[in-house]
Amino acid sequence: MGSQLEDLKTAIRQALPDLDVVIAWAAGPDGLAHTPLFITSESDVDLVQWDPRCSQNLAGYLPGLRGKKVGIVAKGCDARSITELLQEKLIDREQLTVFGLHCQGALDPEKIAAMADCGRYVRSAEINGGELKIVSSKGACAISLENGLLAKCFRCTGADAQPCDQFIGEHGAPPVLKDAPATTLDRLEAMSMEERFQFWEEQMGQCIRCYACRSACPLCVCQDHCAAQSREPHWVDQTDHPREKLMFQAMHALHTAGRCTECGECERACPVGLPIMTMKQALNRQIKALFDYEAGLDSEKTPPLFQFRENEEHIKERKW
Amino acid sequence: MNIGVFVCHCGSNIAGTVDTVAVAKAALAYPEVVFATDTMYACSEPGQAGIIEAVQKYELDGVVVASCTPRMHEATFRRTVERAGLNRYMFEMANIREHVSWIGKDKDANTNKAAELVHIAVEKLRRNTELTAGEFTINKRVMVIGGGVAGIQAALDCADGGLEVVLVEREPSIGGKMSKLDKTFPTVDCSSCILGPRMVDIAQNPNITLYTLSEVESVDGFVGNFDVKVRRKAAYVDWTLCTGCGECAAKCPSKKTPDRFNEFIGKTTAINIPFPQAIPKKASINAAACLMLTKGKCGACVKACPAGAIQFKQEDEIVTEQVGAVIVATGYDLFDFTQYGEYGGGRYPDVITSMQYERLLSASGPTEGHIKRPSDGKEPKDIVFIQCVGSRDKSIGRPYCSGFCCMYTAKQTILTKDHLPESQSYVFYMDIRSPGKGYDEFIRRAMEEYGARYIRGRVSAIQPKNGRYLIKGVNTLMGDQVEIEADLVVLAVGAEAAKGAPQLAEKLRISYDTYGFYMEGHPKLKPVETNTAGIYLAGSCQGPKDIPSSVAQGGAAASKVLGLFSKDKLASDPQVSSVSLQRCIGCAKCQSVCPFGAIEMTQFRGMTKASVIATVCQGCGNCTSACPQGAIQLSHFTDNQILAEVHALCPY
Amino acid sequence: MSVLEGKELRIIGFLCNWCSYGGADTAGVGRFTQPTDLRIIKLPCTGRINPLFVVRAFLNGADGVLVSGCHPRDCHYTAGNFYARRRLEVLRSLLPVMGIEPARFEYTWVSASEGQRWRTVVQKFTEQIHGLGPIPAFKSGTCLEACLGTAI
Repeated sequence: MGSQLEDLKTAIRQALPDLDVVIAWAAGPDGLAHTPLFITSESDVDLVQWDPRCSQNLAGYLPGLRGKKVGIVAKGCDARSITELLQEKLIDREQLTVFGLHCQGALDPEKIAAMADCGRYVRSAEINGGELKIVSSKGACAISLENGLLAKCFRCTGADAQPCDQFIGEHGAPPVLKDAPATTLDRLEAMSMEERFQFWEEQMGQCIRCYACRSACPLCVCQDHCAAQSREPHWVDQTDHPREKLMFQAMHALHTAGRCTECGECERACPVGLPIMTMKQALNRQIKALFDYEAGLDSEKTPPLFQFRENEEHIKERKW
Repeated sequence: MNIGVFVCHCGSNIAGTVDTVAVAKAALAYPEVVFATDTMYACSEPGQAGIIEAVQKYELDGVVVASCTPRMHEATFRRTVERAGLNRYMFEMANIREHVSWIGKDKDANTNKAAELVHIAVEKLRRNTELTAGEFTINKRVMVIGGGVAGIQAALDCADGGLEVVLVEREPSIGGKMSKLDKTFPTVDCSSCILGPRMVDIAQNPNITLYTLSEVESVDGFVGNFDVKVRRKAAYVDWTLCTGCGECAAKCPSKKTPDRFNEFIGKTTAINIPFPQAIPKKASINAAACLMLTKGKCGACVKACPAGAIQFKQEDEIVTEQVGAVIVATGYDLFDFTQYGEYGGGRYPDVITSMQYERLLSASGPTEGHIKRPSDGKEPKDIVFIQCVGSRDKSIGRPYCSGFCCMYTAKQTILTKDHLPESQSYVFYMDIRSPGKGYDEFIRRAMEEYGARYIRGRVSAIQPKNGRYLIKGVNTLMGDQVEIEADLVVLAVGAEAAKGAPQLAEKLRISYDTYGFYMEGHPKLKPVETNTAGIYLAGSCQGPKDIPSSVAQGGAAASKVLGLFSKDKLASDPQVSSVSLQRCIGCAKCQSVCPFGAIEMTQFRGMTKASVIATVCQGCGNCTSACPQGAIQLSHFTDNQILAEVHALCPY
Repeated sequence: MSVLEGKELRIIGFLCNWCSYGGADTAGVGRFTQPTDLRIIKLPCTGRINPLFVVRAFLNGADGVLVSGCHPRDCHYTAGNFYARRRLEVLRSLLPVMGIEPARFEYTWVSASEGQRWRTVVQKFTEQIHGLGPIPAFKSGTCLEACLGTAI
């Protein structure tokens, strides 16, 4: 992996003179997760990191940098968000340089912190072979990387970044992982409707309405104009009630229907760990069944809710 | 905002099952309602005066009328509030008649429901804004689609009114079905003698551009400003050079080409002028029959043509015409009787359609007006006419009456007797439908003076017998079986929608019924309008019609267009979408779903923003549903208005 | 005022102006008796129906939501109902994930002339909702209560 990192740094160094900024990852404060790095001078390049702690999807920064020549380092899943942004013409392909990588899975810092029982108070952490060695106030421990991966990695459909201008390292298949944890969607399906409704009431009761899910979502392109906080239109009111929070989650899911690539940023960003990608997954499943469409694969395609067919093959309408 | 609510009794129509006094009382509790009353007939003169008085007395800013459906009186009350000095869009209706009093039996439930409907109307009205209709200029040209008698009348009336007219006809010549007829009922005057001069008028009128052998390819735009693409199909003859001399047809070796104009009862040549009175009198080549176009060798017509007009390499051409209104006069087609097995299913050469018989009667037809059997060319003696072939028959999906068959059958029996005094006509009929000036008298003449034998009943079988035909039927008046031997059987085939009518309707965005006939705007009050502004109907495309009715509709449609064009500008409906520049992020989702191309992406201070072309926007609101941040809102159906209605009905 | 306690359930209908609203009018003109639960909100076109209106109605306590527009190909605006069909089909999969019985929501097409069909739709849908009963309520109480709770 070391040489892949060096190759990445070399590529960035070479491209930097023609670019205004390159977005990559640098070491984070706690050693469990790397943080975004905005490279504008060559000296920044030394800070670049590339290992399973590069969990954050950097694509969300791109629309805000429109008009600049931007380089971005991307994993397979990150690149699918880039495809979506290109499809919606919110970024310009010719202004963009993608440094693509093959990803072996990205770590979930919350999960690791829970496994190591150390909270986020980590003195140091380093990756060695297939393990993450952590030193915290509670002592040292080692966690198998495979056990600490993000839930989305167990459903990875493409580990190589595409689109990509420079591919760093070798292409490869998604990591083969066993023991995929049950998704919330699976759990919900085992419940009665009433239980599901209660489940969401309880979950949403914990929501603190910080909108981190929205800020992290690379497709929440409305950002400051989000309809969840406006009065014109006034979709959601400010009452501290699970109803309004659930309304916002339904809104996020429906607004990203046919666009969401399940990059998982919403759940990764949620400070209270709510399973808020569940509704989006359910919609994606339906969209795949109805329209045989998956988001993030082709920037030339129109998302299914922005087109139609006169005869919809898979829609069975009720006969009254 | 001060809102006034008027709850109409509509006599006992509403008050019979809704406690209108209680509804008015409940309305007073709704936000910003300062005045509420019940009224006997809100739409009546005193009812409207009451609204105006209340607006002035209570300084109302908006009015809710709870009465019938807005489809009935919304326009009426908008004018009322306007007379009271309010903006006409500061008005909402609650439909408590069609949706409440007429369908619910429980008075308590009805009253409660009516009050809720008033509540949502109030909540919507509170969020209405004053709107002013914009204006746009109109292109005072009109397109008439279809050059039958209805289209001809419409085109001539428009042209006489000073409009530029584009007349588009699918066939090589205008004239339509009427040009194929020999005589017309009930006057028995010569069809081409009355139609011919009108066709010539079309050709000679400087205001009329005629495209025959042409079809409408696509229609864009809206009332006042349509862009219509017309496909001018290749005639393989340069019509600017063709003089209509007919030398080409005389020399054409493909003499066994099926003759469409003569209903396939005779043969013609691959290059031909369909009939002597054709307008334009130009030759065209039937590509399927032409030796040069199918096999690559011949060229007899090239040698024969003194004008050098033949062009085998000619291709279809698309022309775009800008017009402000369209009159659709695409007529009808005849029912294909071959699906009736009992009439031989098309196997017997002497079982023919009424239109084929018409061609046999015509002096310019394939037999030069001599009635001859198609099988052996002999004159028939006994002729059986069968009515309602493809009319009033549910079993074949044609439950409607074609209207004119009774009359033309009577005419054909009269003409038969004139041509062949020794002949005997028999008519099998279901009912005689002859409501028209002089129509029933005409039927009587056929029976009494011309001796046509009318038999009330259906025919169950036609069987060949010794070179003749045995027609087995029933006489329901006598209650017995009938068997008649005849030489010729004429089927009074019914009318059905013209081929391609639904496809054209899709292009024009007008609606059509299950049979493909176009829907008028209102069955009583808008007989020639459609629900698409600027598109009018004339003739049988709207439903089967005889000649006088088609001509009347052609004239009526023309007068509608002249009325529309009497203004220089049209008012646009202000209930259209608009974009909040501040909220728009320029993602163009709205643009991608707009069915009318009414949204363009513009640059505003270096940022991409959506912008609505107000005159093109039709107010469907598809854009508003597509915009995640709610930056584009349809006036009077904004997100907040609909949400307010939802909140009013479901207050948690 | 709200629905009649014990007699009615809260059923919201979103109808397009051109076809289904007219169909409901036609049913009225024909005096086709129907259950009284349904409240109709008129929209220009089913294309105007943001699926979130339906979600909002359910979260606000609607027991059933019915959407009705022009038959495919008959849309007054040519394509609004085609877009609506896709949006509403997608919505259909969201409701059960949220714990809302999918049978509480239906969409259909009724033309302005189909008064009889409209009556059938209203009757069947109302029966269906009565079969399901009232929608489960939030245990957290109403928003108003939540507001008052915070105020205290």
